[in-house]
Amino acid sequence: MSTPNTAETLPTTGPAGGAPASPGGVAVLECDDVCVHFGGVKAVDGISLQLLPDTIHGIIGPNGSGKSTLIGAITRLTKLTSGRLLFDGEEYQSSPASVVARKRVARTFQTVRLLPDLTVLENIQLGADGRTHDEGPRPNLLKRLLGKQISPAVGEAIERTNLQGFESFYPSELSYGTQRRVEIARAISTGPRLLLLDEPTAGMNQTERAEISALLQSLRTGGLSQLLVEHDVQMMIDTCDHVFAMNFGKLIAEGRPKDVVQSPQVQEAYLGRKWRDHA
Amino acid sequence: MQDVLSVVSLGSIYLLFALGMSLTWGTIDVLNFSHGSIFMFSTFTAYLLLGSTALPFLAVVAVAVAVGALMSVLIQVLAFEQIIKRARTKKNAEMQILIGGIGIAIIPLAIAQHHTKSNPFGLRESSFSVDTWVVGDLRITNIAVMTIIVALVLWLALALWLRRSRNGLALRAIGVDAEVASLMGVDRRRLALVTMAVAGGLAGLAGVLFTFTLGAITPESGDTLLVKAFAIIILGGVGSMRGVAFGAYFLAACEVWVLTQTSGSWVEAVSFGLIFIVLLIRPAGVFGRKEVRRT
Amino acid sequence: MSSFYLTNLVLVQATITGLLLALSIQVPIRMGVFSFAGAGAYGFGCYAGAILVLDYQMAAVPTIVITGLLAGLVVLVVGLLIAKLNGLYLAMATVAFCLIISVVAINGGELTGGSTGRYGVISDFTMGHMFAIGAIALVLVALSERGKLGRRVDAVREDPELAASMGINVRRYRLVAFAVSGVLGGVAGAMNILVRSAVSPLDIGFPLIVLALTMIIVGGSLSWKGAVIGALIFTWLPDLLAVVGEWQELIYGIIVAIAAVLLPRGLYGVYVDTKRSVLRRRRQEATDKATAQTPPPTSTGDTTDIDRLAPEMEAQR
Ligand SMILES: Nc1ncnc2c1ncn2[C@@H]1O[C@H](COP(=O)(O)OP(=O)(O)O)[C@@H](O)[C@H]1O
Ligand SMILES: [Mg+2]
Repeated sequence: MSTPNTAETLPTTGPAGGAPASPGGVAVLECDDVCVHFGGVKAVDGISLQLLPDTIHGIIGPNGSGKSTLIGAITRLTKLTSGRLLFDGEEYQSSPASVVARKRVARTFQTVRLLPDLTVLENIQLGADGRTHDEGPRPNLLKRLLGKQISPAVGEAIERTNLQGFESFYPSELSYGTQRRVEIARAISTGPRLLLLDEPTAGMNQTERAEISALLQSLRTGGLSQLLVEHDVQMMIDTCDHVFAMNFGKLIAEGRPKDVVQSPQVQEAYLGRKWRDHA
Repeated sequence: MQDVLSVVSLGSIYLLFALGMSLTWGTIDVLNFSHGSIFMFSTFTAYLLLGSTALPFLAVVAVAVAVGALMSVLIQVLAFEQIIKRARTKKNAEMQILIGGIGIAIIPLAIAQHHTKSNPFGLRESSFSVDTWVVGDLRITNIAVMTIIVALVLWLALALWLRRSRNGLALRAIGVDAEVASLMGVDRRRLALVTMAVAGGLAGLAGVLFTFTLGAITPESGDTLLVKAFAIIILGGVGSMRGVAFGAYFLAACEVWVLTQTSGSWVEAVSFGLIFIVLLIRPAGVFGRKEVRRT
Repeated sequence: MSSFYLTNLVLVQATITGLLLALSIQVPIRMGVFSFAGAGAYGFGCYAGAILVLDYQMAAVPTIVITGLLAGLVVLVVGLLIAKLNGLYLAMATVAFCLIISVVAINGGELTGGSTGRYGVISDFTMGHMFAIGAIALVLVALSERGKLGRRVDAVREDPELAASMGINVRRYRLVAFAVSGVLGGVAGAMNILVRSAVSPLDIGFPLIVLALTMIIVGGSLSWKGAVIGALIFTWLPDLLAVVGEWQELIYGIIVAIAAVLLPRGLYGVYVDTKRSVLRRRRQEATDKATAQTPPPTSTGDTTDIDRLAPEMEAQR
């Protein structure tokens, strides 16, 4: 088993080279000693980290290491046992999830969660429905009452995720990979400042993964901070500016993707698991 | 003292009725809202048979139990299994089973109402007669004694069966985690059918004893009992055998107490109020197991 | 036409009250709140309407408005109490609420008239009022199924967690569902007493829940059109089935049971599903090539990725 690591012993290497993260810039999100315990299971156990604007962050870690739970905690869908959460320097660990979402924190889930009775277009519009930060002139009343108007953000999200032509499909008519892209489009259409993606490319092939990777990199502007959970190490190295490694609910390493992947803690976490699996 | 006796005999009827509902709800997640009409219709069948022949007590019981078990199994196969097969999520399935149960209950009710013109019917034609014994200043009927004994014996037997036997263990495993249970090689379908049959048989038995106790029941009497049984089960905690006994006698005690304290018919409100209070204060019930949520 | 209307006036009235009763249960169901409190509100509305007209000599329209608001308030309070509950538990708590209303009606003394109930409720209520109120309710409910609100209601029902992550205050939606259901049920009850002029404890309670549920199960729970279909069928069917005679109740039961088991989305749901599959087929024929989709999932992640990681790290060592 890995020895417990404290923050001081983490092999921190700072923001990745070449990343446009402003070194002096204030973090979009900060977790301070966040714990989520389910009875005896310490799913997240004292995580402190910062997410910077214009940066793609990644989390790697074996299954069950608490990655999804951390995202749940950040979005307030999962109850914190203790710790503080700050958005733009403001504490929000006691705000309900909907209030956090309205701060423009968007997420996708590990499993596909599209509404089965809405078309692709409507599912994505559901994300744009929550936008309050850029409301232009309101469409006319009749159009609004009949629910015909579609936000410009939706068209943009569809274009970015390459979903043109699928607008009138229902989720059950799409392949798994396409469903996942609809989810990403829905998250993007909210106009997020923090985008949390939980294994967005699970079930996609290499080409699709590369597309998603390119998409995320193209979004690295306008102050957007991203946090990506993925198992595909190569994709993480190619995509992320800064990677966190988790095991047993704790951060065991963070820094430049390549460094983190090569760090002894991470190797032990994965290889240790591999040995156990083969035992 | 007479009041205590009333509590025990009323509670025993509640226990018999709620036992079957609790069993299916706690193990195979079926909250069967046609339990009340099974209760009524199995008695109704016995009543119809008695119209042509005078049967002894045991034969009446046997008929009602058999009809109850048969109805219950039929409902499981024709309705609940189909619902589970089609439902998208477990939550949807639960709600649809509740609604389906309410819908199905209309059928036996309609038949009985049509035949009896909604009048009460009883089992007087049976060769069994209700006697009252007087012990000291206590009065008790033979049917009340029988109900108490039968309820407690069956309750104990069912609890032991759930705890000790292979099938019982498997059933409890399903109640805790259906997926793991099926991985363990539990034949869920067969066990579900057995459970439904037992529950239906208990409903039939409760119907006969209840009818002998009261003299007659109306076709609609299953509805009220249904809500009472729900109150009993959640009071004790879903899936708990101790809980269902506690709930049954507790509800009976409350009702008898309200009956002696108030005029009018507030007694019906006891169980409904109890549902509210329990759900607000202790949703898991008195003996309820802590819900373990899994992702 | 007009003679048909006159001979069937009672049925027309029953259709409108039945429709509002069905909507009072359907609106919360559409938000994922399985509440039968609307049926309780209906019972409450019958009595409140009778009391306002008989004891306070109120005219029809204010009676209906006040009753609706009161019922909405009562059900909202119930909703606040049981907001934390879900699924079966919530459903049963609201069933208990409906039954408590009946018990109160029986024990309410002079106010509710005990087991005889209240009768002789005559007011200035006209069919014009009734059509207008029914139409307003229907239009408002129909609008709530469209556009942004409709989508958000869908999200709250299908996936509350997702809804919250989209910035939707799920708790508020659920409370609104309770209030709206109370108003609809209360208005339906008030209109019922104004056209029937009498109410007794036997008229409210469990059978009312079964009736409302029946309409929605058979019609369809996810659109006002389903409620309309259900209300029409179950108000007019008994009359048409009179041909079948005495077994009407049984046929009724069989229809409901079949719908509950086989058509969980009701008749309207069947229509929607059919429409959708026709559309799909047409689309497939038209653009057989253009819709060439991304290939099915190649790897489901975990094991392969971890296996890939290990040798890679070994190479880097
Ligand atoms: N709702 C829950 N109740 C109990 N345990 C949970 C719950 N959610 C997650 N867990 C546990 O927390 C741990 C971390 O899970 P998760 O965050 O999903 O891991 P990951 O996303 O890294 O695979 C696991 O051991 C899991 O079983
Ligand atoms: Mg995960």
